[in-house]
Amino acid sequence: MKKFISFFLFTLLLSACSNADGESNSNTQSLQDTSFEEIEAQASETTVRLHMWGGDEGINNYIDEWVAPRLQDQYNINLERTSMDTVNILQKLYSEKQASKQDGTIDVIWVNGENFKNAKENELLYGPFRDQLPNFTDYYEQENLAFDYDFGTPTEGYEAPWGKVQFVFLYDQEKIEQPPATFEELKTWISNNPGEFTYPNPDDFSGNAFLRHLLYKGAEDTDTLIEEPFSKELASEAGSYMWSYLNDIQSDLWRDGKHYPASLAELDRLYSKGEVSMTMGYNEARAEHMIEDGIFKESTRSFVLDSGSIGNTHFLAIPYNSPNKAGAMTAINFLLSPDAQTAKLEPTYWGDNTPISLDKLSKEDRQAFESLDRGESVLSNEVLDKRFLPEADAQYVEWIKENWKDEVIRDK
Amino acid sequence: MNQLSKQKKIQFWALTLLFFILPVVFLLLKSTVLNFGFGRNEDIEFSFIGWETLFSESQLIHATLVSLGIGALVVFLNLSIGLLAGKALAFYSFKGKSVIESLFLLPLIVPLLAIAMGIHVAMIRIGLSDTWIGVVLIHLVPTIPYSIKMLQSGYASIGTGMLQQAQVLGTNRWHRFFSVELPLLMPSIRSTVFLIFVISLSQYVITAIIGGGNVVTLAMIYFPFLDSAGSTVLAAFSTWFALLPILFYLSMELLLSLLPYQNPWRTRL
Repeated sequence: MKKFISFFLFTLLLSACSNADGESNSNTQSLQDTSFEEIEAQASETTVRLHMWGGDEGINNYIDEWVAPRLQDQYNINLERTSMDTVNILQKLYSEKQASKQDGTIDVIWVNGENFKNAKENELLYGPFRDQLPNFTDYYEQENLAFDYDFGTPTEGYEAPWGKVQFVFLYDQEKIEQPPATFEELKTWISNNPGEFTYPNPDDFSGNAFLRHLLYKGAEDTDTLIEEPFSKELASEAGSYMWSYLNDIQSDLWRDGKHYPASLAELDRLYSKGEVSMTMGYNEARAEHMIEDGIFKESTRSFVLDSGSIGNTHFLAIPYNSPNKAGAMTAINFLLSPDAQTAKLEPTYWGDNTPISLDKLSKEDRQAFESLDRGESVLSNEVLDKRFLPEADAQYVEWIKENWKDEVIRDK
Repeated sequence: MNQLSKQKKIQFWALTLLFFILPVVFLLLKSTVLNFGFGRNEDIEFSFIGWETLFSESQLIHATLVSLGIGALVVFLNLSIGLLAGKALAFYSFKGKSVIESLFLLPLIVPLLAIAMGIHVAMIRIGLSDTWIGVVLIHLVPTIPYSIKMLQSGYASIGTGMLQQAQVLGTNRWHRFFSVELPLLMPSIRSTVFLIFVISLSQYVITAIIGGGNVVTLAMIYFPFLDSAGSTVLAAFSTWFALLPILFYLSMELLLSLLPYQNPWRTRL
């Protein structure tokens, strides 16, 4: 028994030591001074491993069927896609950082928002690399708040913009002739049609985004809320409108507001079964392939409110210990190209909007974008651009999560 | 008497139908029907889109084989450790036995994620992370406690008498193990095998962390789809997921029938 205890203590000691010496030395392989031709040459005949969330067939097919064969043909790069949640990827990188592992297994990851903030703060990313990509310097706006800040975190070239999405509401045209245009109209509609509306609880990404719209609406000056860093005073000031709105509609929600869907998928299922008449989502084109797969009814359309619709940019980044950074940069450069961006916009694959600047493109490329039919359920770019609102500081997400239960659930 | 047993039979079948057969049938049906619901005034549409999506997933077959292989190894290691530890705990008494017994259960009480995160750093150091061996080892954490407990009670229910009898008759240790212990332990082994395989199959987070995306098991492909509203695809996937343990169980049964006293053509005891 004594032996056992000492062994136990010894193990504890070992694990304590392992945390102390986890500081890693700076990465040896840097490409900051290498020309891009050189980088592309280095990338030839290598494998690039892309780890990303894999719960959508449209996105998976775009990578597997469109991107991978072209990377093989044009750059002689073998692209391997692996499904993995971003949080788990970062967890893995974090442990590897602690153990000073320099030869990782991931070359490209797909991040934004809170995840990017965590990754950058813990120095899990390689960079800056963005401004070395020819496709970025040629076709994208060089000074753009949407690329330089990611939910309030300065990107500083550690990630390259891959796509952008905007929040929309989806509704069934057969049940609702004229969708509401303001939050007040939405409230009236909800009270006239009890049980037909609900929103995912704010622990869910999309549910939280829905509430942030109300937060913006409640703010005295929306621009201040977006531009200033997080402050409790601003939050509670803007929040009072949000909480009273939510409490007002609660009794007319689905199941009398006693239960909220835990995820957007749950709300989507309710909508697809016809139990509610509206759903939502942080991607203006998401209804298109849901309709094609028969999940949503063909009469599904989308709308945004006059007070605006929040949009954000999502990015590609390279882990600090990627064993093939040249390959990663070549692949990212390709993913940012006009061709790859047009294919991504096609509703049959993904339908994801492009952050590219159309006026920097050649005439043919621009035409390819402009002539593309995104599908009937997608609003026109004009409407989307007019209503566009950027994301505020990522801490508002947490603030809403923390206070929602107290303000909306508990006071009954 | 006859009346009673008939009534019991009806009860049995009604319950089985309600709780075991109907859900499976419903799942199968769901995998071939597009989303439907009462609020949706459309005709029910049959479609194989769910199954098509399933088989278009490029890594499906590979991931299935990986899952089977890892599961088989985890089951084998579990049986080896569980039989030894279970026997010791059932038959011997020693100082600190109850402490050891509760220590064996500890992995079930401490959150698995916390264990995995700690072990991950250690595994990176010794080069076991991102390998299938590492994944097999981490799968032992949530499974070993169960197999020790189950096989311990298996041994306890045999009791020492039968083993002593065999010893008196002059058998050696291996002979005793194969012709007395294993056949008598069969019920416990069956349930252990099935349970352990199912647990190993459904590990997502720890597989993702330790395997680092290099080891792609079926759970790695299946779990992300839980986020999507396409219940047709999900149902097809779930059916495929459920087929694995059944397949594994059947092949295990075949293997077990090779043991003494299991063969229906041999003389029964």
